[in-house]
Amino acid sequence: MRPFVYNRASDPTTALNMLSGKPNAKFLAGGTNLLDLMKEDVERPAELVDISGLALTTIKTITSGPNQGGVSIGGLGKNTDAANHPLIRQQYPLLTQAILAGASGQIRNMATNGGNLLQRTRCPYFYEVSMPCNKREPGTGCGALEGINRLHAIFGWSEKCVAVYPSDMAVALAALDAIVKVRNVGGQERAIAFADFHRLPGDTPHQDTNLAPGELITAIELPPSKLADKAYYLKVRDRASYAFALLSVAVGLEMAGNRITQVRIAMGGVAHKPWRALTAEKMLVGKEATEANVRLAAEAEMAAAKPLEHNKFKVELGKRSIVLALQTALNGVG
Amino acid sequence: MDENEVPELSDDEKKLFEDLMPEDLNDILDTGVNRRHFLKLMSLAGSGLLAAQSAVAEQLFTKPIGLPTSAELAPASVENGVNVAFKVNGAARKLLVDSRMTLLDTLRERLELTGSKKGCDHGQCGACTVILNGQRVLSCLTLAASCEGKTVQTIEGLAQGSGSTVRLHPVQEAFLKHDGFQCGFCTPGQICSAVALIDEAKRGDASYVTADVRKKAAPLQLSTEEIRERMSGNLCRCGAYANIVAAVQEVQHGKPVEQTFRFSA
Amino acid sequence: MQDKNKLTGTPISRIDGIAKVTGKAAYSTDYPVKDLAYAVLFKSTIAAGTILNIDTSVAEKAPGVLAVITHKNAPKLNVNGGLRGGSLLQSPEVEFFGQHIGIVVAETFEQARHASHLISVDYDKKEPKVDFETLAPNAVLPKEKDKADASRGDAKAALSSAAYKVEETYSTPIEHHHPLEPHATIAEWNGDRVTLYNSSQIVNGAQTSAANTLNIKPEQVRIVTPYIGGGFGSKGGQWANLVLTAIAAKQVNRPVKLALTRQQMVNSVGLRQQNLQKVSLAATQDGKLTALAHEITTHAAIKSEFVEPCGDCSKIMYDVPNSLITYRVVPMNVILPTYTRGPGKSTGSFALESAMDELAHKLKMDPIELRIKNEPARDPSNGKPWSSRKAVECLQVGAKAFGWEKRKAEPGQNLQGNYLIGYGVAAGTYPAHQRPTSAVVKLKRTGNEVTATIELAAADLGTGTYTILTQTAADALDLPLTNVTVVIGDSDLPPAAGAVGSVGAASYANAVNDACQKITDELITRSGKQFFARPTASQMMLSEKITEYKTRVDAKPLESAEAYSAHSFNANFAEVAVNRFTGMVRVNRFLAVTGAGTILNPKTARSQIIGGNVWGIGMALTEESILDPRLGNFVTRSFADYHVPSNLDIGDMDAIFIREDDQKANKMGIKGIGEVGIVGVAAAVANAIFNATGKRVRELPITPDKLI
Repeated sequence: MRPFVYNRASDPTTALNMLSGKPNAKFLAGGTNLLDLMKEDVERPAELVDISGLALTTIKTITSGPNQGGVSIGGLGKNTDAANHPLIRQQYPLLTQAILAGASGQIRNMATNGGNLLQRTRCPYFYEVSMPCNKREPGTGCGALEGINRLHAIFGWSEKCVAVYPSDMAVALAALDAIVKVRNVGGQERAIAFADFHRLPGDTPHQDTNLAPGELITAIELPPSKLADKAYYLKVRDRASYAFALLSVAVGLEMAGNRITQVRIAMGGVAHKPWRALTAEKMLVGKEATEANVRLAAEAEMAAAKPLEHNKFKVELGKRSIVLALQTALNGVG
Repeated sequence: MDENEVPELSDDEKKLFEDLMPEDLNDILDTGVNRRHFLKLMSLAGSGLLAAQSAVAEQLFTKPIGLPTSAELAPASVENGVNVAFKVNGAARKLLVDSRMTLLDTLRERLELTGSKKGCDHGQCGACTVILNGQRVLSCLTLAASCEGKTVQTIEGLAQGSGSTVRLHPVQEAFLKHDGFQCGFCTPGQICSAVALIDEAKRGDASYVTADVRKKAAPLQLSTEEIRERMSGNLCRCGAYANIVAAVQEVQHGKPVEQTFRFSA
Repeated sequence: MQDKNKLTGTPISRIDGIAKVTGKAAYSTDYPVKDLAYAVLFKSTIAAGTILNIDTSVAEKAPGVLAVITHKNAPKLNVNGGLRGGSLLQSPEVEFFGQHIGIVVAETFEQARHASHLISVDYDKKEPKVDFETLAPNAVLPKEKDKADASRGDAKAALSSAAYKVEETYSTPIEHHHPLEPHATIAEWNGDRVTLYNSSQIVNGAQTSAANTLNIKPEQVRIVTPYIGGGFGSKGGQWANLVLTAIAAKQVNRPVKLALTRQQMVNSVGLRQQNLQKVSLAATQDGKLTALAHEITTHAAIKSEFVEPCGDCSKIMYDVPNSLITYRVVPMNVILPTYTRGPGKSTGSFALESAMDELAHKLKMDPIELRIKNEPARDPSNGKPWSSRKAVECLQVGAKAFGWEKRKAEPGQNLQGNYLIGYGVAAGTYPAHQRPTSAVVKLKRTGNEVTATIELAAADLGTGTYTILTQTAADALDLPLTNVTVVIGDSDLPPAAGAVGSVGAASYANAVNDACQKITDELITRSGKQFFARPTASQMMLSEKITEYKTRVDAKPLESAEAYSAHSFNANFAEVAVNRFTGMVRVNRFLAVTGAGTILNPKTARSQIIGGNVWGIGMALTEESILDPRLGNFVTRSFADYHVPSNLDIGDMDAIFIREDDQKANKMGIKGIGEVGIVGVAAAVANAIFNATGKRVRELPITPDKLI
């Protein structure tokens, strides 16, 4: 860990000012990923601005604007508090499940909602500084492309980077069409649609998100949802708990009898960002929720996958997991 | 000692025995243990047990629990020093720390509180778990600098008293009784985690294995499955999980969990 | 039989328990040594080649740095001094990825860690040998004599003419011990004598190997290790970090603390090697084995060899007239493999006991019946009688307790919700040995109270040594437990066997018992009196009004034990649930039935067994260290990538001990439980998965991808 100057900010404006114009300074919130990476010498900030004490922790019903009736979650609230808030548990149980599927009780008590979205990949070539990695050090190549890539992407990867994004929470947020509210040093706020928040690697894998330098995530907004009755977050992993996903599926359905009127499916562990299964969603809307229809949609979605040498299993696992997640959302845990 | 005492134990003795080794009581009563044996066993019971173990413990290269004395002295070269004032196990501490110093290293290297362990230093094992402002967190991923004004409870702060008058926290007692450890290295983290977990259940917090997170009930009585999931952030390489679950369950449910030691002729 | 009047055999809580639950137990890095400096190792980033230049100048100028030590300025050490794995900074040669190439010492840990990232190295890189699959066909006969081809009868001929046979290859990956306490040392010199606070399963071994490597006398080295945060073989033989801490402390003339990081553990302190095991079984239609061939291919390090004995179970488990056991090994650019829990037996039994299950399936026979049918009356490998063998009882008792009759013989037939349920069984064994151990017993009388102190350089890595020795001494001296103090984990104490290979309890308890008997004898003799009934040592101290008395015993194994084959045996039962969609496996229930002689403490013994079972479940389902075959680095270098089982991975655990009174193995009849608990476990789980799904997975670990 390189030496760095530590400063504590007491309010968002001060925090933004403290970071302004310093390309090598970073916000410190929960620290669960940033300190981990600093110890590995992957992240090398010269200054940290501690924003963990800012009052951006409120969870409340949105009372005006396009998302009226939805819920806003403070960017610096803890994952545990978001998962357990009555508004989230009642109206967005999918988000509760996804948060609780991630990490451990201790880490969820530390990690913030905004910070969760900024988690970096767990790719071992990214983590070990002696390895080639375009994300960590552009131009050095991708160690995983022709190396060990069992855990890597099957959708949307490039020759430059095949890493996957590790968050569980974000997979649910993708399914829920969340909006990320950010503020810059000038005090201007903007809203980023969740689908636009994370990026595919392309030629710039070092850029994980479309957050501009110096911007602060102030809140995550959840539009009103009718998916609460039938929702499920399925996480498949190498051990039962406290492990990153091999693959995960967040689903939410709205039904009219046995007919699907609305469906959202997002996948984790398959791409550089949460992967919305739009093909499958389109195929299912208006259809009956039969196992055959679900299977066809899952197969169609996974047909576009481009697996690497060691992760071919994710294609079949993706199909099965979409089916199981939908089945569970419809019928409960079996 | 008298070899010819009658095998029957008094009610008080039975009670004492039940507290110590409930799983053995019936066996002992059925087979008619003699009083001499009973007294030998009883030398372990209650305060006797604790005194004996503490007495042994004191001799076994254990460390005195850090007191606010000279520990505040900063090393010769502190870079990017940050002054931090916080409370550790009830005592106010003030130190100048390197901005890079984690809470874990501060406890261990500066405050002589080495109970919290460094198993991985990257948030992947739970051995460094402490209770910060009432919440269990990983001290290896917490900067000391960020603890200004906060309250830290470590394993050293759970028991009351010391030596022969030590009064263990119920979770510590349950770990001892159920053998919720072997090497003991993950134990401080497991115990801090369990202590906080019990509060989380009281609040009605959900977990990934909670069948329906929309149903909110508090306080919760946790199933073994729930305890397993909620304790999964604490790895135990010796494989004491079944015993850890029994210990946590005993305290969380507030009633003894049976221990069975099975033999076949 | 358990004596109701004895403390041994009772489930008392750990003597060291209070220290452990209060955080007061001091492990290697917990000692409050004054004026500490901190060391951090840095490592090679290639797997084979030579260091051409190593630039330490930036690190040396970094704040707080006291010294940077590399092969260029390290003192001369004896590389054959008994430490494992090389990496002693004696040459520019690089033999594996992550070999230690230097140490930074600084005022603070933060400064040392930072400076360790400021080293730049130029290498002359060579093509590393790390791709086991490609190298395996060129494997050769190991150098160790006990790994020579062992043949009885003609297994190949019997196989070629067999009516029923199984010929399959089973694969187990590299695994790491990963004790929760990473290897760490505090070195403190006092003149020409150094104290090394260092977790050591073999206290005297650590002392002599450190001394020999440092070119000093053993009495100049003191190892202090009262608590060990897990070892599982990796803290048996010691590694370079022990002595590198000592030379760092010498160099900066201050005590130095050096702890490996978790990431450094993968290439610093050994590993369990990858094994390919071909098992061939031949049998008659009624299930009598006619041939058993177990052919093992594995790897070692590039210049030194260690081959775990995967064929050991196959040597003795079954009565078979034609047997062949062979080993082949290929050198690789990896850290030297070493003893890992249940060395050879845990991996070997996976192959053998999976093959037995496959054979039973082919014969349409119950796998328990098949095993019982081939129970050997004597040790088939040497013709010796068993000191005791309860393998059949383990199977039978276990079957009844587990509800084996509920198993559906046809695989894939038990679907409950989304889960396929399956039952599996597998047997296991581990040898029982006693090793020479000395012990001192000191008695002290204060008024009418007698207390005892027991001293020996034994180790307790969570195994329960403190507790069982306190119980043993209390019984032998007729004292309450509270009046006995056991002091171990210090090389200044009388020399003792290591806590390795399941020899600890037998070696230590017999020595302590002998010492207590000897002190009683001596006190009786000293009194010059005659007794009708043998008095106890404490009675003698009181009646003779002796204030202090001590004696020492140098206990040796029974010579008569040589005439017998002494082993622990077990039977493992697993119930698994396999998610039919995702392939995720859950072990719902696990039962181990063990015949391991005298059980000194049922509480700590049960913990040892279920702990071994958890290891076996990890081996079966989650644990795998993966090398990049191009670069030679482990891509599974942290606890996020290398999955030891978590709490939720483990279902209901149950253990039953078969009572055994085996005084042929050793006087106290102790056969050891630390290792046998893992043997047969992975096979039981794999067999249960086959029973659940109809899929036979011969490559561990059985991760979800292998079941979809």
